[in-house]
This record gives sequence, C-alpha cells and structure tokens, in this order.
Amino acid sequence: MLALNSIREFRTRPLRTLLTLAGVAVTTAMLADMLMLGRGITRSFGELLESRGYELRLTPKGTLPFDTEATVPGFATLRDSVESVAGVERVAPVLAASVTVETSDDSGRSVEALALGMDSGDQGLYRLTEGETPRPGEVLTDADVRGSLGVEPGSAVRLRPAGATGAWGRRTTARVSGTGEFVFASRGDLQVVMRLDDLQALSSQEDRVSFAMIRIGEGFEPDSVRAAILARNDRVEIVTLAGISERLDARLSYFRQTALILATVSLVVATLLVGTLTAVSVSERLGLIAALRAVGLSRRRIVGGLAAESVVLCSIGGAIGVALSVVVAGYLESILSDFPGLPVAVRFFVVSADSLVTAFALLLVSGTVAGLIPALNATRLEVASMLHKEAP
Amino acid sequence: MSEIVVAARDLTRDYRTGRSRVRALRGVSIAVPDGDFLAVTGPSGSGKSTLLHLLGGVDTPTSGEVVFLGRDLAGMSVEERAALRLEQVGLVFQRFHLLPMLTALENVELPLAAARVPRKLRRARAAAVLERVALADRLHHRPGELSGGQCQRVAIARALANEPALVLADEPTGELDRATSRQVLALFQSLNADGTTLVVATHDLELAAGAKRMIEVVDGRTIP
Ligand SMILES: Nc1ncnc2c1ncn2[C@@H]1O[C@H](COP(=O)(O)OP(=O)(O)OP(=O)(O)O)[C@@H](O)[C@H]1O
Ligand SMILES: [Mg+2]
Repeated sequence: MLALNSIREFRTRPLRTLLTLAGVAVTTAMLADMLMLGRGITRSFGELLESRGYELRLTPKGTLPFDTEATVPGFATLRDSVESVAGVERVAPVLAASVTVETSDDSGRSVEALALGMDSGDQGLYRLTEGETPRPGEVLTDADVRGSLGVEPGSAVRLRPAGATGAWGRRTTARVSGTGEFVFASRGDLQVVMRLDDLQALSSQEDRVSFAMIRIGEGFEPDSVRAAILARNDRVEIVTLAGISERLDARLSYFRQTALILATVSLVVATLLVGTLTAVSVSERLGLIAALRAVGLSRRRIVGGLAAESVVLCSIGGAIGVALSVVVAGYLESILSDFPGLPVAVRFFVVSADSLVTAFALLLVSGTVAGLIPALNATRLEVASMLHKEAP
Repeated sequence: MSEIVVAARDLTRDYRTGRSRVRALRGVSIAVPDGDFLAVTGPSGSGKSTLLHLLGGVDTPTSGEVVFLGRDLAGMSVEERAALRLEQVGLVFQRFHLLPMLTALENVELPLAAARVPRKLRRARAAAVLERVALADRLHHRPGELSGGQCQRVAIARALANEPALVLADEPTGELDRATSRQVLALFQSLNADGTTLVVATHDLELAAGAKRMIEVVDGRTIP
C-alpha cells in the first residue's frame, strides 16, 4: 500500500516524474544502443563471412582482402603450388582494379567503378539479381552503375583503366551480362565484375591477383592447411575465417571500447538519477517513514514501498528507452554505414532481443539498487530520534 | 480496571547529541491499567514524548524496565517490538502522518495489511473503524480533501484498526482548533467508554481535564 502511495504520488509531481522518466529512457536507449554497437559489428561480419564456404583467404603479405591496392604477382605459379597442398580443393582468385565505365553510344556518360576480376560467381562477393554471371567479354554491374549509365543487360559498355585518358590507353568493349548486389561494398561504391583474364589485361596486371579464396576439403583443418601453404610460400599471407574475424575485431576494438565506456556512463547516469530522485523523495518523507515505523510496519515493508518508486520509474523509463533505442539504432546505422572502408552489409547495430533485454535488466537492477540505498538508510535511523526531529 | 497493560519502573532515558548528554527522563515509574485514560502533561521539553515512546516500545530506556502485557520489552529485538506495536499499540501523532495519496479507507487498511489481515476482512474492518470515528461518508477521500479534525480521526481509526491494547497519542490536538479539539476529546472519551485504554501527552488542559487521570512530567520526573 506504501508502494501504491508512492506510485500515486507521481501524479502530484508530474514535472519531476516526467523528467526522471525522460532521463531514464534516454540513458536506457544509449545503453541498449551501445550494447548493440559493441556486439553488432563483429556478429554481422562473422555471419557474412561464414556463409561463403571458402575457409581461407590468400592475400599479399600484411593485408586483408580489399585492404590495399597491393597485388600478388606470379599467380599462375603460386596457384599450382597452392593447389598441390593436401586439403586444398579449389582456389578462386580475385583481382580488384579501378576502371572507368562509359556508354558505347555517344551520350558520353561514364562512371568510375571498382572492377572485380574473377572466374566464377560462387565466392559470394556478390549476389546475382538479374541476368547471368559474366563470360569473357562481358561485364556485370551493380544497380548504381546500371542506373547512372542507363544500361540494361545486353547493352554494350566501354571500359578503360581509371585515370587513363586519350586514345592511347588500353580499352575494351563489353556486353552487360546482368546486375548484382555487392556484399562487401562500402556505401557509394560502384562495382562491376569481369572475367579475371579480361580485367588483368585491361589493367595491365597480367598474372596478378588481389587475393584468392581457398576452399578446403572435408576432414581438413583450416589451420593445418594454412600452415602447409605457408610452408611453401612466404610471399603471401593466408588467413582463416577466424583470423579475419579476429583482425576485424582488433580493428573495431576502438568502437567496442567506446561503446563499453558509453554504456557504463549511461548506466552510471541512470543510477545516479534514480538514486537522487529516491533520496529526495525519501528525505521529504522522513516524518512519515518514522511514523509508519512507530506504527509497527516492518523495515522490509517500508523499504519495499519506497523502492517501488524507483522500480516503477525504471520499468516505465526503461521500456520507453528500449523502444527509443531501436529507433536511434536505425538512425545511427544510417550515419555509420557511410564509415569508409567497411562493407555496407556489415551492420553496426544488430537489434537483438538479448541486447534489449540486457540493457533493460541492467537498468532495472542498478535503478533498484539505487532506490534501495536511500530507503535502507532511512529505515536504519532510530525511530524515536526521527520522530523527535520531525516534531514541530 | 484490573489487568495492567503497561508498567514502567524507574525509567531513565539519556540522549546524546554531539558531545552533550540530555537526560530526558530521570526515574519515572508508572502503571497503566486496562481501561485507563491517562493524560500526561507538562512543559515543553519535560519528557512527555519520551515517556510515551518508552511505554509503546518505540524507544528503549537507558535504564529501568517496561513490561507490556506481561512481556519485558528489554528482551525484544527492534523488529519484535515493531510487531508488538503493530498488533498491540495504536499511535496517534500531532501531524497525523497519513499517506497523502491513499484514501481514508486505505490509510486505515495499512496496519491491517501489514498484520496480514486478508483483503476482504481488512476492508470491512477499516470501514467499520472509520464509521466508529464518524467518517463513514469519507471513506474514499484523501487526506488533502479532509479537514484537520477529519484527518486526525482517520489517524485515530488507523491506530484502532488492529484493536490494540493501548492507544498512545502525542499532542493529538496540537494542530487543531478548539472546537475540533473538543470533538477529538469526545471521541477519546467515547472510545475509552467502549474499553479502549488511552495515554495522551498534551499541553491542552481541556483535553487533560477530560481524561480519567492525569500526571505531570516536569524535568524528566513525574509529579503526582
Ligand atoms: N532523539 C533525541 N535526541 C536528542 N534529544 C532528545 C531526543 N528526544 C528528546 N530529546 C530531548 O529530551 C528532552 C525531552 O524531550 P521530549 O520530546 O520527550 O519532551 P516533550 O515533553 O515531549 O516536549 P514537547 O512538549 O515540546 O513535545 C528534550 O530536552 C529533548 O530535546
Ligand atoms: Mg513531545
């Protein structure tokens, strides 16, 4: 009944109640978002990688795929050597190079795009949305390239290495084979796919690749196959999926630490807010608390009644906050996905029930504790002294 | 007037405030028999409230003993004394100390709920007690919607809810005007006539005169 009184008292102080609710909601939203940010990036990237079926990546020493413009030379020999390693089932090389794509009519429209040269579409670097994977002399584009140039599958486009001007550079004409969605592209990137040979020729990088994906046979351990390949080739780096995740993790630790700090700060702010509010309303009611203890209500009952206030505030504020966090996550996601160098398919905020529940539970627990402390303190005082002090 | 509800022997109570020590009571002995209506008077600071608190087990004496319904309070823990007060002592304060957002009925139900009386029964009992203090038509009013006299009657009803052996009232008319104070006295007299044992600390001579018995506390001692 004491709890009932506390809760009804919210209505007599609407401003204080609303401000506290707003404060709790905002800090909960922050807390939930930071939990999502902390866990989201690695989780979504891990999912992205694992769905592909190529367990190893071969890259120039010291880099990650797409990391730099470095390439591996002498790939044909390298490939033979890698393929001869027990456990290697398939090697799928990829060359990345910037190209200029222009319409073949005289409209003069052109765009710069990242071209990926590869011989099959099964590496999972893109999803085919229309048409077919490119054959020699063909090119597959993303929707942006297609839209900017106004081309359709079947149209012809002209390609040249980016930056090459005039009639002297290499150039080629290709037929658009279809459209795809590029999983690892950053926002705003334009991408096309060609056959590896075609791109090597176009970009004057014969026998070079940017990286290769390696599928290993059943029953082989990625780590031991990796070791076996490295034993024969010291010009390259081989990373496992776990290794990529780890490196990505290390690179994103900045985000996670920031997220952790902000989450902690939110929690502390919420705790202080609720603690202060409870302390204020407890001290306003010291006379009443003394009287109720004199009447014979147990300490537990009184503490429970007083803490109910903070529990209710945290529950309502927390629930609003959790809802708010989903909205804010969407907004922040749209800002952060422009972060350079990260694939759009990586989501910063993975809205997950467990992040929301964790945020809510953390808040509820710390808010309750924050509310309990002043309540416990008040009931620890001597009743007679409290009555004496409160007497007129 | 047979059984002794509470008996105090040779009570002293020292309060320590900072470095100084105040002796609020200096050897008070008193017995309150069942059915008594005792007024405790005396100047401000003489120790009336202190005596009431000791009699009801709200406070513990520095020396001396309090025997309540045959039990020595000295041997009881804080929570045991709270439980005893809940069931056997009704307290009325100068400033009512009602919960502002609960109705009269809910305020009276509070000690019944704390004593784990089932909801239906405590509703009925609270309503009956409020009727006894002539507030049957104010059950669902909150303290803010009631006059001072009505609030004090709700507080008296709350004190009576668990049918205590003793009602202790500390300056119950301190915030009330003369006419309202008289109504409170009349209510006390009527309750006492029905068998309620009352000890009332007061400056109000009219209230004191209306009691069955009166003692005066001066400087921590009773004078007969
Ligand atoms: N908890 C306490 N701490 C310190 N001193 C106290 C405490 N309670 C009472 N006293 C002191 O003990 C003395 C007696 O106080 P008490 O409240 O019993 O007087 P009273 O007769 O009830 O006075 P009043 O008529 O003003 O209510 C006073 O000097 C008072 O200051
Ligand atoms: Mg007093």
